[in-house]
Amino acid sequence: MIPLAHFMFVSAALFCIGIYAVLSKRNAIMILVGIELMLNAAILNLVTFSKHDKFEASGQVFALFAIILAAAAVAVSLAIILNVYKYYRTIDPTKIDNLRN
Amino acid sequence: MDTITQETTCILALVATLMPLLSFAGILLVPGRTDRGAFFSILNISFSLLLSVLVFIKVWDQPVVHQQLEWFTIGNWHFKAGILINNLSALMLLLISLIAALVHIYSLKYMEGDPYLFRYWAYLGLFCFSMFGLVITDSLLLLYMFWELVGFSSYLLIGFWFTRKAAVQANKKAFIMNRLGDLGFLTGIMIIFTQFQTLDISLLFSEGGFVSHATIQNGFWVFSSNKMPDIWLTIAGLAFFFGAAAKSAQFPLHTWLPDAMEGPTSVSSLIHAATMVAAGVFLLGRIYPIFNSEVLLVIAVIGAFTAFMAATIALVQNDIKRILAFSTISQLGFMMLAMGVGAYGSAIFHLITHAFFKCLLFLSAGAVIHEMHHLKEKYKLDIDHQDIRLMGGLRKFMPLTFITMLLAALALIGIPGTSGYLSKDAILIQAFEWSEGQAGFWKVIPYSALITSWLTAFYISRLIFKVFFGRLRLNDICGQTFSLHEAPKIMTYVLVALATFCLFPFFSFNPLHYEHSWIIEGLNVVSNIGRVNIYHTLIPAAVNLFAVLIIYLSFTWYVKRGKSPDLSNSALFRFAENQWYFDKIYQNSFVNGILLLSRSVFAFDKAVVDGFVNLLGRATVLIAGLSQWLDRRVVDGVVNGAGSVTKIIGNFARHFQTGRLQHYLVTMLLIVLSFFIIKYFSQAI
Repeated sequence: MIPLAHFMFVSAALFCIGIYAVLSKRNAIMILVGIELMLNAAILNLVTFSKHDKFEASGQVFALFAIILAAAAVAVSLAIILNVYKYYRTIDPTKIDNLRN
Repeated sequence: MDTITQETTCILALVATLMPLLSFAGILLVPGRTDRGAFFSILNISFSLLLSVLVFIKVWDQPVVHQQLEWFTIGNWHFKAGILINNLSALMLLLISLIAALVHIYSLKYMEGDPYLFRYWAYLGLFCFSMFGLVITDSLLLLYMFWELVGFSSYLLIGFWFTRKAAVQANKKAFIMNRLGDLGFLTGIMIIFTQFQTLDISLLFSEGGFVSHATIQNGFWVFSSNKMPDIWLTIAGLAFFFGAAAKSAQFPLHTWLPDAMEGPTSVSSLIHAATMVAAGVFLLGRIYPIFNSEVLLVIAVIGAFTAFMAATIALVQNDIKRILAFSTISQLGFMMLAMGVGAYGSAIFHLITHAFFKCLLFLSAGAVIHEMHHLKEKYKLDIDHQDIRLMGGLRKFMPLTFITMLLAALALIGIPGTSGYLSKDAILIQAFEWSEGQAGFWKVIPYSALITSWLTAFYISRLIFKVFFGRLRLNDICGQTFSLHEAPKIMTYVLVALATFCLFPFFSFNPLHYEHSWIIEGLNVVSNIGRVNIYHTLIPAAVNLFAVLIIYLSFTWYVKRGKSPDLSNSALFRFAENQWYFDKIYQNSFVNGILLLSRSVFAFDKAVVDGFVNLLGRATVLIAGLSQWLDRRVVDGVVNGAGSVTKIIGNFARHFQTGRLQHYLVTMLLIVLSFFIIKYFSQAI
């Protein structure tokens, strides 16, 4: 049996990679990917801790919810990105600064 | 006379008074040509003359006409205004309207072509109105108001040619001198009112009036319950006389009259010879009972002195109008002298006769000046057209003017057969009679009057001979032969009309006895003193005999030999020529004194008052500067400091707002991480 800590390490690693991607990428899609990575790290945690669940796998059910929500969020986000690209001809978030000042 | 006739008479007099006011108002209010108003004025003044004649016929030697109305009330004092016509005012009314009408007609031609002539007619109207009002009013207060108005209209008329500097100076001088006299008049009125509580002339001064009931008891002037030290009676008399002296150009206020000759000659004739200057004498006549013996003595002395002084000045003047002006002063002195010696009737009589012959002298002189002026304009000569040294031989050119002026001059000298003889000898005789009862020194007064009348004979014959006899000296000076014309017809008519009034029949049927003159008989309340003493024969004889000699002397000097002894370097001559230095004395003492005073007050004002104000100003500026510094550095500093601190903070905080999503996320992450780290370590500790 794989000890719990391993799952935690993997999850932490995923989260860190996600954060790195979100903070450093100049491409909105890559940021989106980072967000997805962080989401999956969280879901992995949910699934991991459902092992100690005294009830019927509610963590896994919640994970499923989260996955569906993430999918929906990705769909919306992609649509926004597409529109942003249409409008600004770029998807670099540092260049989209119309509201500045 | 019953009340109804009294009322009619009053209304007649009132209308006569108001007609000239109508011309004044009408001419000024109705716009039109600048020379409008001549016929309107003449019409009005003629109407006034007609009414005056009616009033005179009704009133002369009849009971006094007196009507009054409530005017205003102060506290318990009721002031009344009304009309009081006795023989004196009826006579004055007639005299003024007659002379005014004649002068109006004369001015028609004399003033012709002058710009803005409507002002002349309007001012004449104002003058006649105030003069009429002055003689008919029954209240001292109203009398004072008309007195002022007369002075004011005289001021306007002297300055009629206001573009001439001399005219402006002269009218200012006349006005100021008259104001000084008005002060005296006002003082008199106030004393009278304090004592008697009324200003009604008929109550005060009529026979058995308040003034005659007031008595002197133990050094107090007592009237019913009022009493004051008796010196006030003298002061009141002197104050009134001072007022009269200013109007009638008596020493020491006489200097304005010669300067007043800057006005048109017709004005000089009407105002400064015949009517206004007689107002002072009229005033003395109106309030005669107020004067006690001391004041009468002062009046006599001043009158005699003025008469003598002015006559000596007239001897050496060269301006035709100035000679006549000094002659007027001299004759007014005679009237004052007569008032002073108690010859009330003779004073008024002389006023009347003098009004006619002096008016005529001026108008004749006006005709001469008119023609000389025409000559000057025609040939563009640079001469003084009033200088008698340039004239001469004018009787050939202007025979009518010559004859009328000669008649007037004879009347002025007092040759038998003229009106002047009657009135002047009346004054001289009464002066001598008066001196009988006086101490030795005062006998000088009648003798000085006698000498004055001889001086008069000289200066007026000098004028006549220089102007009308010999050759026209202008010819010698300019090297040309000029010829003059007789004055325009209208002017000569007026001269002739006035000349008839210089003859005796108008005043007395007996050419030699003034006592039978109707004016003297009408005015003297006391019965005449008959020809009781030697004076009545001796004085006229002496005066006339010597006067004829003097006339002959001046005839030899100015006509026969054509040259007179040159005295122009003698001290006396210069003394007289400079008018006894009165103008210079007044200039140096009063005018310069006042200027000095005003300059020192100005300096005080500048140094102290202005200094204080400026100090205050500077102190305020200093305080303001301080407060400005405080405001700028401290108050503004706090406010600006708060502002800049906020700005610094704002600028600092601004750097966090990069607008980049990822920066915000990093910040968020760091904060969350640090939160957990802190939490972790703090739990660990």
